[in-house]
Formats: sequence, C-alpha cells, structure tokens
Amino acid sequence: MPRDITTAVLANTDLGAGNWLLEFGAPEMAAGMRPAQFFMIGIPGSATILRRPYSVCGLPGTFDDRPHGTVQVLYKVVGQGTRLLASLAPGARITVLGPLGNGFNEPDDAETTPVLVAGGIGSAPFPAWISKLKDRFPPPLMFYGAAGADDLVLADWFAERTELQTATDDGSAGTHGLVTEPLSRALDRERDRKLKLYACGPEPMLQAVGKIAGERGLTCELSLEAHMACGFGVCLGCVVPVRRDGDEVGYDRVCLEGPVMDARCLAW
Amino acid sequence: MSGVVEPDLSVTVGPLALENPVLTASGTFGYGLEFEPFLKLDELAGFVTKGLSPRPREGNPPPRIVETPAGMLNTIGLQNIGVDAFIRDKLPRLREYDTAVIANVFGETEAEYVEVCSKLDQAEGVAAIELNVSCPNTEQGGMIFGNDAAALHAVTAACRKASRLPLIVKLSPNVTDIRVTARAAVEGGAEVLSLVNTFVGMQVDVERRRPVLKKVCGGLSGPAIRPLAVWMTWQVHEAVDVPLIGMGGISTAADALEFILAGASAVQVGTANFVHPDGSIRVLRELREWLKEHDVATLRELIGAGHSKAPA
Ligand SMILES: Cc1cc2nc3c(=O)[nH]c(=O)nc-3n(C[C@H](O)[C@H](O)[C@H](O)COP(=O)(O)OP(=O)(O)OC[C@H]3O[C@@H](n4cnc5c(N)ncnc54)[C@H](O)[C@@H]3O)c2cc1C
Ligand SMILES: Cc1cc2nc3c(=O)[nH]c(=O)nc-3n(C[C@H](O)[C@H](O)[C@H](O)COP(=O)(O)O)c2cc1C
Ligand code: FES
Repeated sequence: MPRDITTAVLANTDLGAGNWLLEFGAPEMAAGMRPAQFFMIGIPGSATILRRPYSVCGLPGTFDDRPHGTVQVLYKVVGQGTRLLASLAPGARITVLGPLGNGFNEPDDAETTPVLVAGGIGSAPFPAWISKLKDRFPPPLMFYGAAGADDLVLADWFAERTELQTATDDGSAGTHGLVTEPLSRALDRERDRKLKLYACGPEPMLQAVGKIAGERGLTCELSLEAHMACGFGVCLGCVVPVRRDGDEVGYDRVCLEGPVMDARCLAW
Repeated sequence: MSGVVEPDLSVTVGPLALENPVLTASGTFGYGLEFEPFLKLDELAGFVTKGLSPRPREGNPPPRIVETPAGMLNTIGLQNIGVDAFIRDKLPRLREYDTAVIANVFGETEAEYVEVCSKLDQAEGVAAIELNVSCPNTEQGGMIFGNDAAALHAVTAACRKASRLPLIVKLSPNVTDIRVTARAAVEGGAEVLSLVNTFVGMQVDVERRRPVLKKVCGGLSGPAIRPLAVWMTWQVHEAVDVPLIGMGGISTAADALEFILAGASAVQVGTANFVHPDGSIRVLRELREWLKEHDVATLRELIGAGHSKAPA
C-alpha cells in the first residue's frame, strides 16, 4: 500500500555529467518495495507543482556501504524538476509517494539467466534488481549503453556483479554504437541457455529490445517511462497503447499496470 | 473567545445538503475507490466521478499531460469505463460510504447525454448529476455544447427531463461572456452551476519544434487558472440566482475561501489531488482551522460575502 511521507534528504551526490544519487530514509516504504517500482518525489514550495517519477535504485542491502533504512534514487538532470532536485542539500524536505507500480518479475526457474539491458539513466532500477537476483539465478548478462563514457556511472558496480558489456554513442567506452548490437550478438551465441530479458531506457531502445526478444521467442519485461501527474492511477495521463485479448488496442496506465510491461503486450 | 466551538461547515447547494463545502473535481478523483488507501471517503462531503459516457472510451493517444507554470495541460480524451460498468462495478461499493456521489456526464450528442442521465436516474446511490458540457457536439460540426447558449439550453433541458436527480451544469470558461451561458443553463433547468472546467491551451516543445501534446491542445488546470476562475464565479454570482460550486486551482483553505467569498456555496478540489492524494482533506482541515482562528461560527455566512458594500 503506497504511503505519502515528508522526509529529509540524507545525501545528494553529484556523479558527474548531470547524474546524481539521492538518498533518503524511508524504512517502512522500503520494506515492501520491489525493484522497478517507483516513487513520486516532490519538493514542497518549489516552482514545480507535480511530483516527478523516479525508480528505486537502491533498497536496503543493495549498496552495502549505505546506512540502514535508506533508499537511493539515481537521476539525471533533464529539465526543471530534476534541476531543482539536484539543488537540494542534505536536510532539505522532500515529499515521497510510494511504493508505486508493479516491479520486475523473477525468472520462472533457477536455471534461467537474467539478461539486463540499460540505456543511460535507465540503469537506475538495476542495482536493486541485481541484488535481489543474486545467488538465486545465474549471474546476469548485462548490456549498458549511454551517450558517452561519463554517463556510464554504474559501470564499475555492474562489472563486479554481472557479465557486463558497454556501448556508447560516441565510442568513448565499450562498443561504438547502440547497445542492441552486442545484445543481439550475445543472444545468438547463447541459444542453448534459458534467458529472460529485462530492459529500461529510452523508448526507441525498448522498442528495439522488445523486437529482438520477440524474434527469438524470449520473454522480455520492459520498464517504461511516461509523463505522469499523479503516479497512482487516477489522472489517466500516463497511458501506453497495449494489445488486449483479441488484438484490440487499448490503453494501460504506466503508473499502475506498469511501469514493467511484457514487450509482447505493447502496441507501439 | 469562542475558539473552542466547532464551526459549522455545512452548506446547502440547491437540493443538496452537504456536511461541508469540499468536494473533489471530475477527472481528478477517478471513481472515488482509488483513494481508499489515502483518505476516508466519509470525511469528504462528496466527490465527482470521472466523466461517464454511454459506452466505455479509450481516450486520446499519449502524451496526454504536461506540467506548465503553476498548472498542467491535459488531453485525456474522456477515457472512462462507461455508465453501465460504473453502475454495476463501482456504485455498490460506493454505497457503503457516507459521501455524496456526484456523477459527471458527457456525450457526443444530446441523445447520449440523455441516455446516461436516465440510466443514472434508475441507479441507487447517486446524489446528483453534473453535466460536463465542454465536449464537441458531433451532430453540430464539433461545436462545444457549453460554448453556445442555445445548444447548452437544449442539452440542459433534455437532461432535466431524463432524470429526477439534482442537476448541476458545469460551465466551460472558454466563452466570451460566461454570464450568457450561465443564464442559458439556468433557464434550461440547472439547479446548480459548477465552474470552471479547464481553459484550452497548448505548449510547444522548442527542441522538437512540435506541440508537446499529441492532440496539440489540452485543458489547463491548477493554480494558474485560479484568478480567472474566481472572477468568473464572482460574475456568475451576480448574474443568476442558483447556488454555485467553484473550482480552479484550489489547494489551500484560502484558495477555497476566495471562491466562497466570490459567491460559491461549495468548492471542488482538482489538480491538487494529484499533488497529494489527500489534497482535498488537507483543504477541509485547513478550512475548519481557519474558521476557528477567525471566530466564524458558520461557514454559510461567508458565501458571497465578498460582494458586500459594507467596509471590510
Ligand atoms: C516509472 C518511471 C521511473 C523513472 N525513473 C527515473 C529514474 O530513476 N531516474 C531518472 O533520472 N529519471 C527517471 N524517470 C524519468 C523522470 O521522471 C523524468 O526525467 C523527469 O520527470 C523529468 O522532469 P523534469 O522536470 O526535470 O523535466 P521536464 O522535461 O522539464 O519535465 C516536464 C514534464 O515532462 C515530464 N517528463 C519529462 N521527461 C520525462 C520522462 N522521460 N519520463 C517521464 N516524465 C517525463 C515531467 O514529469 C514533467 O511533467 C522515470 C520515469 C518514470 C515514468
Ligand atoms: C486530468 C484531468 C481530467 C479531467 N477530466 C474531467 C472530466 O472528465 N470531466 C469534467 O467535467 N472535468 C474534467 N476535468 C476538469 C476538472 O474537473 C476541473 O474542472 C479543472 O481541472 C479545474 O480545477 P483544478 O484547477 O482544481 O484542477 C479534468 C481535469 C484534469 C486535470
Ligand atoms: S500518472 Fe496518473 S494515472 Fe498514471
């Protein structure tokens, strides 16, 4: 059940290239929260009125050096709301609504290897997810793409915990080009293994990953983004087209039926 | 000091007796039940449902919303489950609560409005009907019902005949003189007027050089529209004799009181429900505190009091 709390920023760290890690205390919220669920975070008295959606990046236990009962949000400054968030010092008050949305679903059996695909700030939900999967499934294969090396802020963390391949648009790190290229090569190589895909990133990347998975008959969960006003299902602002039974196209809410959706259900 | 006495917040809005003047606005409160995790529905005097049409509607393609200075634009496209599903799936649960369920109704033709109103008339647990007349009339080349006095008069009169429930007409602000459409609605049989619906506007994405919203324009709501909405409430209060329900950017007691002093007997909280799911209850509690602090025994004495010629 979501709660609406006011809490203090504990840390707000500049990771470079406009990427930041926000930390706040929310032990009760964190207790029942699933990776790829999200928060609506607001800044009381600021120039923006609507809260912004952010995935949970770190849950208790994800980053072992972080204090007990805290959660972390990884965000990128892209506009007014994220710029205001980056201006907050420890002690500043924020309002947090969560946990919201559905979250990633585990593979059906312990032999299935999770394949993780992250595009830029779409890497945010994966630390909590990798921690949750740890030791219960084979080590994940991970594909992490971004505009340039500066944006691969979690590369070291992922490299210690997954079989990581990176890609950048400018060639400053990893493969030069789209992350979907090393992904499709790897999937073709790993034909004998049972695999399940999880992806988060910009929409064109998600569409491509969904297609690649579909062509190979692999299950693929996509964590989507949408403009949101409420985050809890009432404004109907955040919808995506989905295929319902009988191929009829309708709209589902990213905040409630998502943000994680099966790639096969999307009608984009 | 009489500060200890609990102020009387009850109001009568035409045929509706309400425990307090705070309602929630259509399209910002779902079908009410979505708010069960966040507030006690009984604490609200009532709420207005998402707009109901004869058949379910999927609404417009995304992006549907964007934040603007002190507000937001939306083009939800009146997505809703349809009146039959509302009566079958939502009303039975809602009847368990002591809160006035006001059904918001729209259609693309006069006949569609009438169809929804007569179905609601037969249902149990609906306190009133609110007509959303900010919809295009597909039989009249897409002209908005509420922007044309004659069409508004006709659709109001038809709905008046279709049900015995108290009839509220929700005025569109996208008109030259809102007093003209207000009078037309009253002459058509509206017992209460609510105002205002959203103002039409748009935002352009300068980087993409295209409109932000897929449908180009949308409805503006939130604090940005409050001064416009208060002024319209003020004018309509002077133009007609029926009670008014005011709305537009209310998120505090002071905001609500602006509308009440301008002539509204009750208010609706809209966009503020998105900012905090219990935004309406926050307004109600603040209002009670305000009355205590200002030694006002009954809220009713403030309705329209801003028009008084006596020195303040
Ligand atoms: C479920 C979910 C999880 C997310 N998780 C993260 C995360 O962990 N880290 C992170 O940095 N970002 C995340 N985002 C995207 C983040 O919400 C946007 O970057 C942010 O809202 C932009 O706000 P702004 O005011 O800075 O940008 P502006 O462009 O100024 O915002 C204007 C409006 O557009 C909306 N908007 C703009 N871009 C997006 C977008 N990509 N997605 C949704 N709404 C947008 C804003 O909410 C606002 O209403 C997530 C989005 C969703 C839906
Ligand atoms: C997302 C959204 C959906 C809305 N849907 C409806 C609707 O279905 N019917 C209606 O009469 N008004 C609808 N409205 C208008 C509101 O009920 C209200 O008139 C308006 O938002 C002004 O109040 P506010 O500034 O407090 O939000 C909607 C508003 C928003 C923001
Ligand atoms: S953000 Fe309001 S319904 Fe999803």
